[in-house]
Amino acid sequence: MKKIFTYLLVVLGLSSSALYAGGFQLNEHGAKAVAMGGAFTAVSNDPSAVYWNGAGLSFLRGTHFMLSTHAIQPKSSFRGVLPNVDEYKLIDQTFFPTNFFASHYINDQWAVGFGFTVPFGLGTKWDDEWVGRYLAVETELQVLTLSPVVSFRPFDELAISAGFVYSFANVLIERKNPQTPFTGDALIKLEGDDKSAFGYNLGLMYKPIDKLTFGISYHSQIEYDFEGTATSTGAQQLIDAKRLPMGDIKAKLTTPFNLAFGVAYQALDNLLLSADFQLVGWSSYDTLAVDFVDPNYTDVASPRMYEDSFILRFGLDYQFNQELSLQGGIYFDKNPVPNEYLNPSLPETDRLGFSIGAEYKFFNNLALRGSYLFIRGSELRIENSKEYYSGNSGFNGVYNTFANVFSLSLLYSL
Amino acid sequence: MKKIFLSLLIVFAVVLFFNACEDRSDLTAPAPLNGKSGNADLTKYVAIGNSLTAGYQSGTLFYSAQIYAFPYLIAKQAGVEMTGLKVSDPGLGGRLEIKSLSPFTLYTNPNAGSPMNLSLPAPYQNLGVPGALAYDVLFATNKDNCASAVFAGTPNPYFDLVLRNSALNIGTQLQQALAQNPTLITLWIGNNDVLGYATSGGTAPSAPTNATQFQQLFGGICNGISQAGKQAVVANIPNVSAIPFFTTVGPQIALSTPWYQLAPQGVVGLVYQKTGGTIGVADSVSLLTGTNLVTLRGSSYAPLLGQPTGKFYRDNGLAIPIGIDTTKPFGFHPQNPWPNSLILDTDEIQIANQAVANYNSIIASTAANFNFAVVDINSVFNQIRQNDFTGGTVYNGVTFRTTFVTGGLFSLDGVHPTNQGQAIIANEFIKVINNKYNAQFPLIDVSTIPGSLIFAGKINYQNGYPILPPEVFKHLLF
Repeated sequence: MKKIFTYLLVVLGLSSSALYAGGFQLNEHGAKAVAMGGAFTAVSNDPSAVYWNGAGLSFLRGTHFMLSTHAIQPKSSFRGVLPNVDEYKLIDQTFFPTNFFASHYINDQWAVGFGFTVPFGLGTKWDDEWVGRYLAVETELQVLTLSPVVSFRPFDELAISAGFVYSFANVLIERKNPQTPFTGDALIKLEGDDKSAFGYNLGLMYKPIDKLTFGISYHSQIEYDFEGTATSTGAQQLIDAKRLPMGDIKAKLTTPFNLAFGVAYQALDNLLLSADFQLVGWSSYDTLAVDFVDPNYTDVASPRMYEDSFILRFGLDYQFNQELSLQGGIYFDKNPVPNEYLNPSLPETDRLGFSIGAEYKFFNNLALRGSYLFIRGSELRIENSKEYYSGNSGFNGVYNTFANVFSLSLLYSL
Repeated sequence: MKKIFLSLLIVFAVVLFFNACEDRSDLTAPAPLNGKSGNADLTKYVAIGNSLTAGYQSGTLFYSAQIYAFPYLIAKQAGVEMTGLKVSDPGLGGRLEIKSLSPFTLYTNPNAGSPMNLSLPAPYQNLGVPGALAYDVLFATNKDNCASAVFAGTPNPYFDLVLRNSALNIGTQLQQALAQNPTLITLWIGNNDVLGYATSGGTAPSAPTNATQFQQLFGGICNGISQAGKQAVVANIPNVSAIPFFTTVGPQIALSTPWYQLAPQGVVGLVYQKTGGTIGVADSVSLLTGTNLVTLRGSSYAPLLGQPTGKFYRDNGLAIPIGIDTTKPFGFHPQNPWPNSLILDTDEIQIANQAVANYNSIIASTAANFNFAVVDINSVFNQIRQNDFTGGTVYNGVTFRTTFVTGGLFSLDGVHPTNQGQAIIANEFIKVINNKYNAQFPLIDVSTIPGSLIFAGKINYQNGYPILPPEVFKHLLF
């Protein structure tokens, strides 16, 4: 009888949760950049250049500080599983990524900057009894970075920059697992963090003529070695028999590189137009593997098969008068997830962003900026899902997503 | 200039506004079937049967599992409601639960639930009565005139709970079915006519219902249905030797007994008591291959093999029979043999298999006579049993075997299917209904049916055998 249970396997497809993905990447670094649809690589005329394009620091005289906070409210619904069309909604959550930038112009050649940013900081939460609970209940990824940047301007028209990125991250994945043939579900929770991961960034800004600026910015991949624990809430018998995951786990993850090309044109004395093309190297994310330290558990790996994606951005900045300027922007963000691997832990679809914003200068050295960004995910109907919510039944259905993003920045100059 | 900017802003605002409106596509849910598809009409579907039809599992009838009995699943797929006896968890006493998986230990839940809807003022549509024989469908109206009461002196209270004749006064399972003017009847009866014999190791009753009687009884039921102008879909009887109640303990004895040490002492196999009092020997190969089948009840006594013990007799309140010497090694000595009631030996297997073969040919020919469709459950289970040795049978991505507990098909009593086992059975019925009546009722996604083996607290175990206290099988009804 003991023997029978050596091949009893309550198979745990821990595999299927997306640990992070495009939708968890935050491009919200300062209200003005957001207001201009993120077409900021060739603009970068405030301390957030530390993130957008460090070379911009060389064109920014003085010493400046900028503190920004964003309120992000993602909304998603799923209707399915086809042929059923019951609707399930993501539980409302608001995320408040906050960032801080400082810049200092040393001389006509050198400038330095420092940034604290949250490049990933979103999550999703579904009801723990919903139809897709075996795929996702709660998923959250938070990445914080500290980044010093130095910029060098060898010629009047050209500046280049390099920055070092120190990053720490934590991740939470929670989902259910059926205990079939036994009764009930087990709740599986994976938590992990990496307290030190490193990356770099490079920037270039070129102003061939006064009215025209080109920018290139590169953010490297960052490899994270997550260490953490798996805990299961389920039948004690399954836990004792090591059929539910418990104990230390490790997982490697690589966040994608970002390569952005930007152009900005001063169309009128008081109107700046900008455009960006940003390449996101999501193909770094082809497999998600979770290793158990205890050899009694089988390590799991699942294909994610993300594809490189891109974001196309357009922005404008209009100087209304001495105190007030207005911004607007629009962008298109290509979904990196092939439809068949789309997972409700991150309902990814192609997205359009529409943004407006304003800056008001109270004093010469103090300005307040605010922006609103509406993100609209295109409706996505999936009929060939390889994400199995049960047995070999694909999680087919229709996703609708949108998000509201409110941003506020305070800019102070010495 | 400002005009340009303002017009840009307006265009932008308009675009934003239209995009903010949700352009959600209309999705249409599948049209409700309301019981009808093709020529099939399940608007008043009635099921006649035994424990399998009632949704009995793990030694009792309890709500959280019985709602997955195949008749309810069929009704759900057809989009109709179905009434039936419901008993709150943990059932009417004696539910088997898992104390521990490794080592594997069972336990009997001492608590009992109660019937939930006895006062329904109409006959139940699910007329499955745990323990019912073919005889009962035609003749039993209460616990005191059912076959077990009449022939073995054991009243079966489920007849009172399901038929409720003291209030309804309608009569037998068949009469109650026809009184509802059913649009379709499923009939799955006859399992107990052989199972009682087999599970008691060929002792109680001492023979399966004989074929002639079965022919009269089954023919009588079908004739009654047909006379009333009703249609039935009937299922045949699965082979008893493919269920874990018989296939679990024997191989374990074969594998865990040190035969090479026993051989010099003249012990070449399990020494057991045959019907009639003679002694038989089941060697390890026969135990391994199922030529002799040790019942699941035997798992309580298998750890005692070779010991001088009379525990079996004490546990069951039996006097030690003449000629038995409990100081001799249990199961290895002709004077303290493995009890007859715990083994279905080659001869008895032959009798049980012959009975099943007879019943199934009777079921096939009778159904053909009345133009009723037949669900060949026997072939399905035989196929699953065969696939056990080649990786199992996959339904909707889930692999099933007939093995005890791990196989996913059978509940903890080793006889009755799990929820998912019931879903597989329901799909076989649906396929036949669809085929017979040119209907398109959807099949069940077996993987979405929840598990039904229940966990309890923890206790100890012995020698690698599952601990199945003797009282575990007190409530076993088929």
